[in-house]
Amino acid sequence: MDDLTREFLLESQEGLDRMERCLTDLETRPGDAELLADIFRSVHTIKGTTGFLGFSRLEALSHAGENLLGLLREGELAATPEIVSGLLSLMDRLRGILRSIESTGAEGESQQQDGAMIARLDALQHGEAVALAEPVLTAVAEEVVHAIPQKRRSGRKRAGPRNPQGAPPPPRGEEAGPPRIPEEAAPNPAPEAEPGPAPGFSNAARPGSVPAPPSSPEAPPASGNSAADSTLRVDAELLNRMMNLVGELVLTRNQILQATSSDAGFALLSRRLDMVTADLRESVMKARMQPVSHVFSRFPRLVRDLALGLDKRVRLEMEGQETELDKSLLEAIRDPLTHSIRNAIDHGIERPEARVAAGKPAEGLVRLRACHEGSHVIVEVHDDGAGISIDRVREKAVERQLVTAQRAEQMNEREILQLIFLPGFSTAAAVTSVSGRGVGMDVVRTNVEKIGGKVEVESRAGEGTILRLRIPLTLAIIPALIVHSRGQNFAVPQASLMELVHMSAGEEDPRIEWLENAALYRLRGHLLPLVFLNRLLQQPARERTDACDIAILNADGRRFGLIVDGLADPEEIVVKPLAAVLREIGYYAGATILGNGEMALILNPGAIAQNAGVSLTTETEESLGQENRAGHEDFLLVETDGRPAALPLETVVRIERIPRSRIEQAGSRPVLRFDGMLLPLDDAAASLAGADPEAQTTVVVCRDGQRHVGMTVSQVLDVTGGRQLEEAGTGALANGITLLHDRVTGVVSLSAIPSLDSVSEREYSLPGEETR
Amino acid sequence: MKETAASPTQEVCSVRVGDTLYGVPIVHVLEILGKPATQPVPLAPYFVGGLVHYRGEVLTAVSLRRLLGMDPAPAPEDVLVFESSDGLFGLFVDSVGEVLHVAAADHEPNPATLENRRQALFDGAWKLRDRLLVSLEPERLEPMHLAGAFPA
Repeated sequence: MDDLTREFLLESQEGLDRMERCLTDLETRPGDAELLADIFRSVHTIKGTTGFLGFSRLEALSHAGENLLGLLREGELAATPEIVSGLLSLMDRLRGILRSIESTGAEGESQQQDGAMIARLDALQHGEAVALAEPVLTAVAEEVVHAIPQKRRSGRKRAGPRNPQGAPPPPRGEEAGPPRIPEEAAPNPAPEAEPGPAPGFSNAARPGSVPAPPSSPEAPPASGNSAADSTLRVDAELLNRMMNLVGELVLTRNQILQATSSDAGFALLSRRLDMVTADLRESVMKARMQPVSHVFSRFPRLVRDLALGLDKRVRLEMEGQETELDKSLLEAIRDPLTHSIRNAIDHGIERPEARVAAGKPAEGLVRLRACHEGSHVIVEVHDDGAGISIDRVREKAVERQLVTAQRAEQMNEREILQLIFLPGFSTAAAVTSVSGRGVGMDVVRTNVEKIGGKVEVESRAGEGTILRLRIPLTLAIIPALIVHSRGQNFAVPQASLMELVHMSAGEEDPRIEWLENAALYRLRGHLLPLVFLNRLLQQPARERTDACDIAILNADGRRFGLIVDGLADPEEIVVKPLAAVLREIGYYAGATILGNGEMALILNPGAIAQNAGVSLTTETEESLGQENRAGHEDFLLVETDGRPAALPLETVVRIERIPRSRIEQAGSRPVLRFDGMLLPLDDAAASLAGADPEAQTTVVVCRDGQRHVGMTVSQVLDVTGGRQLEEAGTGALANGITLLHDRVTGVVSLSAIPSLDSVSEREYSLPGEETR
Repeated sequence: MKETAASPTQEVCSVRVGDTLYGVPIVHVLEILGKPATQPVPLAPYFVGGLVHYRGEVLTAVSLRRLLGMDPAPAPEDVLVFESSDGLFGLFVDSVGEVLHVAAADHEPNPATLENRRQALFDGAWKLRDRLLVSLEPERLEPMHLAGAFPA
C-alpha cells in the first residue's frame, strides 16, 4: 500500500469518527447548520480523495451521501431519525470498505449492496414528505424496506438498528470491533478540532493543542488543517520503546548522580542532566496520554442503536471527556465500558411506560463521567433506571448455584451486589441480543482488574445504578514505598499504604500481641492481623526483638500490617512484567529497577491479604462473623472479676482505657459517653466500686445488633479462635460457652445487658457526631 | 575430529557449569551478561536463579546448577540471554568460554545410561578432540517449559 492510500485511510477514518459523533448529535439538534456542515465536509473530503485514488465504490457511495447531506445543509430537508439512520449505515458501509482497502488493498466487490444503499439514500432525498409526516423513532428499518422492497434481498447490510446481526464487513453497533489501524488512535488532536463542538459533548482541546474556532458553515475545512499541521502520527510501539528507554535513562542518570557528587563542575552538569531527563520522561508519558473522549465518542451511537433496538428512550450525558489516560489503559477500558453501558440500557433503564408509571420522565438517562482522583481516573456509568434488585440477585445467585441458599441469606446488601461480578451471573429474564447471556460483569471486572483498576457498584432500587471504574493513571509508573526484608528490596504500591509504624530494637513492642502463631497489632484499639513478610516468603527468620516496621496496608477493604525489616525511600517505579512462572506465585505484581540500579519485586497486597486469610474489615465488619461459618469464631478473651470471659471478636468495636470519672450514672445504671452516644455499661469487672475517680479502667465497646454496649473488664488477655461445642449425646451446639485455649470459657451475652429503656441511646446522640 | 568440508558446521558458545562444558548454538544467544547483579525471587520455582536487569527489562534467569541439582555456584555467575515464546529469559552459568565450531557429524545423541532429567534437558553432545561438549537447546530451558516438564 502506498503512502498516499495509507494517509487517505487514516484521514477518512478520522472523518468518519467525527461524522458519527455529529450524526448522533444531529438527532437532538436537527437544524444545527454547523453540525451539518461538518458532516458534509467529512463525506465531501472522502469523495474528493477517492475519485483521485480510483476507489469507485467509495466515490459512488459518498456521492449519494453528499447529495442527501447537501439538501440537509441547504435546509430543504430536515434531519429525521430515518435520515440519520440512513447516514449512519452509509457510514458503516464506508468504514467497511476502508477496512477492506486496508487489509486487501481493494474495495471488494458488492456493487449490488451499494446500489441498495444508494437507492435508500435517494429515497430519503425524495421521500421527505413521508419522513416528515411520520417522524416515528422506532420505524426506521421498516420504513426503508417499504421504500425499496425489490432490493431487500441483496441489500441486507443496510438493515436498521433492529438487526444488529448484520453480515460483515461492517458489523453494526460494533464497538469492540476488529482492531483499527494502530496509528489512528495515536495522540492526535486533529479529530477534536471540529468546528463548533456541541455543548456537553465537546472534546475540549488538550492543553497545548490549538482548538479550532467555530467556523461558519461555508468555511472550507481549513481550520482542521491548521491543527493537523501541528501534530504528527506516531506509532504506539515506538512510544512504548521510548518509554522504556527513558526509564533506562532515568536509571543511568541516578547512577551518575551518585557517582559524581565529588566534582563540582560535574555535579552541575549531572544536575542539568537530571532536569532534562525528568522533563523528557514527563513528555514521553504525556505523549502516551489521550483524552477519554477517544473512547466516549463511540457511545452516543451505541446508546442510540441500543435504545432503538430495545424500544426505550435513553439520553446520554457525558462529562469530563478531556480527562486523560494512558493509551494502553484507554484501550483496555473500551470493552468494559461498552459492556457497562449495554447493561445500563438493557437491565437498568425501564421502558417508557414503566418509567412514567414510576413517576420518572419517560426518557431514561445514562450519564458517563470521567474525572481525576489522585493517581486514578474514575469513570462512572450512571443510569437512572430501576436499580439492581437485591432480592433478585440473591435469588438468581442461588438458582445458578453461585452461593448456597444459607450463605445468601446471611449476606448483606453490599455483598449481594458483589455477586453480580461472579462469572455466569445474570438476572436478565430472557436472553436478549444485547445482554443476559451471563457474560458481562465478570468480564468487566476481570478486564479492569487486569490493568490494576477496581470496579465498584452502587445501586438503589427504583433510583438507578452507578458502576464506577477506578483506573490507574498510567500503567507504567506507580509511586511505591521500598521496604527491606532479609536483605532484599520489595516495593509496596503507595495506593494501598495506609500508615507506617516503627518498632525499635531491643524490646518487643507490647502492641504486638501473639495468639499462638498469629500476631496482631493493636492500632487505636483495633486489632489488626500482622503478616511477616519474611515468613510469608519463606525467607530466613529474624529475632523477635529486632527493629522492624509495620506497613499498614489496605487491599480492597482488607486491612493488615506487613512486618518488614526496614524502610527505604518512596520512589516512582517503572513496573516491569514478570515471566509467567513468577506471576504464578501470586504475591508479586511485577518487578522494577530502583534508582540505585538494584532490582525490587513489587508486592501485591491484595494477594498477600487473601493468602494470609485477612478478611474484609471496616464497612463489612458485620459480615466478619459469617466468614467463620465452620463452627469457628474468633473471640476476645478478657478477664472480668477474676474469671476469663469471651467476647465474639466481630462485635468488638473498640477497647478503651478511661478514667473512672468518665463513667456516669443514669438512674441506677452506669453509662459511658462514647463517640457522642450513651452506652449502657455492664460493670462485669466490678471495677466501679473503687473510690479513686482517676484510676483507669478498661472498657470494651461492643456492637449488639443495632446498639452499642460497653463492658468493663479487668484486663484484655488475648484474641483467639474458639470452637463451638457440641453437647455430648445430642450433638446440639452449646450456647454461651466456647473452647478457648482448650478451656471452656463463658461467652458474654451482650443482649443480656439491659438497654437504657426510657432514654434511647440515639436520642442522646450529639449532633454532627457519628457512630464509628 | 573427522571434520570434512562436506560436513556442515555450526558455531556454538561454550559455557562451563561445574566440570562440564556445554555448548549453545550461537544463533540463539542474544547477549552475554558478565556477572550481572541478580535479585533472588522468594517462592520461585527451584530452577529460577533470580532476576537480572537487561536493557530496561527484568529477565527471569534459569539456573543450570539448580536445574541439575548441583550446589550453588561459588562465585558470581554469567548470564546468557535467550529469546523464547514467553519473552526473553536468562540462563545462569559458571562462566562463558570461547565460541567453537562444531561439525554436525561429530554430534551424538544422549546415551541411554544418562539420568532421566539430563536426558530431557540435554540434546546429545559433540565430540571434541579431548572432551565432550554437551549440547543445550534454549527451547528446553524456557521457564514455562521447565515449569511443565520438571515441577518441583
